[in-house]
Amino acid sequence: MAEHGEVSEPASAGADAHVVSAAVMADTHGAHNTVNTARSESLAPEVDAEPITHPGFDTTPVTRARRRDLAVAGDRWIARVLRGGAVLSGGMFVVSLGLEALPRSEEVHVAIDLLRKGAASLLLVTPVARLAVAGTLLGLKGEWRYTVIAAGVLGLLAIAVGAGIQA
Amino acid sequence: MVAGGLAGSLGAMLGIGGGIVLVPAMVLFFGIPLEEAVPASLMCVVANSCAAAAGYVHNHLSDIRLGLTLELATVMGAIAGGVVAAMVAPAMVAVVFGLFTLYVSLQMLLLRSPRREPATLDDYTPMNYPLGISGSFIAGGLSSLLGVGGGPLKVPLMSYGMRVPFKVASATSNMMVGVTGAASVAAYALHGHLKLALVSPLVVGVLCGAYVGGRLMPKMPTAVLKRLFAVVLLVVSSQMLWKGGAGLWPSMVK
Repeated sequence: MAEHGEVSEPASAGADAHVVSAAVMADTHGAHNTVNTARSESLAPEVDAEPITHPGFDTTPVTRARRRDLAVAGDRWIARVLRGGAVLSGGMFVVSLGLEALPRSEEVHVAIDLLRKGAASLLLVTPVARLAVAGTLLGLKGEWRYTVIAAGVLGLLAIAVGAGIQA
Repeated sequence: MVAGGLAGSLGAMLGIGGGIVLVPAMVLFFGIPLEEAVPASLMCVVANSCAAAAGYVHNHLSDIRLGLTLELATVMGAIAGGVVAAMVAPAMVAVVFGLFTLYVSLQMLLLRSPRREPATLDDYTPMNYPLGISGSFIAGGLSSLLGVGGGPLKVPLMSYGMRVPFKVASATSNMMVGVTGAASVAAYALHGHLKLALVSPLVVGVLCGAYVGGRLMPKMPTAVLKRLFAVVLLVVSSQMLWKGGAGLWPSMVK
């Protein structure tokens, strides 16, 4: 735990070490603290560093593996939403910039305008969609508290935008 | 695009969005009016957050539960800030915020951290939620009052106040700033202040920079990131003290 962390910066030992995600460890109920043995190669170097043991594991390895898969799948869905939004909107902005090199005409102008509006809208919707997906996925895992929090954030953001407050 | 790339990589590495680089660059080097530069910069913060947070969430660097909890407090603080904006003097708030960020940055630069980082980025439990929630509420209020992103306040808050590893704090802050940034941009766009011709090249640069910064951050030593963050905090504090001292930041720029 962090409060006992009188140790130095990340060690790089244990290439095939067991890892636990930060998101998983942040579960204050400890209900989703799981060990990932299969996907360590895709994680950040420091996350791969050392085996983790956590007290209070009272589930079977099969249950733990199922929960681990759920947690990893959830994180990947959120990552996909974010990456998809960023790549698509970035691509639309790039195409709009490319169109500026063409001779000016009404059609080109309309196309540039539409592409930019679409890209900006997509970019703005992406973090909100991430919030909704995170709340939904955590709710599906039984963590309804976070679903309520996500819904609360979305509601408050709607109020802030409606009132013209720059959150 | 180059300015966007620099802002994107810095923002992605430190979890601050990148507005700290973009707004002065646009205003001072490109002569763009502040009222156009701020919404464009916020749009870049959203782009940065989406691009970098995708990698951080995929690599389990971002703490989604902590982020959701603090996001709620931040948005509540932003609304409260918007409500009390007419009752408080922004210049005074800017001076207080400037002095606070100066203190934090000098402490990070000059003093040795009393606490070492945990051995692994997942070997922690966020502590002191009341402090984190109240601090995020204040960060949201300040972002609404001063137009400064919450990242420079939330990263030290999570790292020092809640004992979250610096990289996790940075990645979580990066994820959080996208949501509040999107709401701010939407408010500007509804008033017609968002110039898409200005935003387009910036966003492309920021997305490229955020990708690079997001790949670099997990590999960089935490000590280097902390020093870099302290330097950025110094810049934020000087901006805030300047803004507070002058009474209003736009009049100083012009």
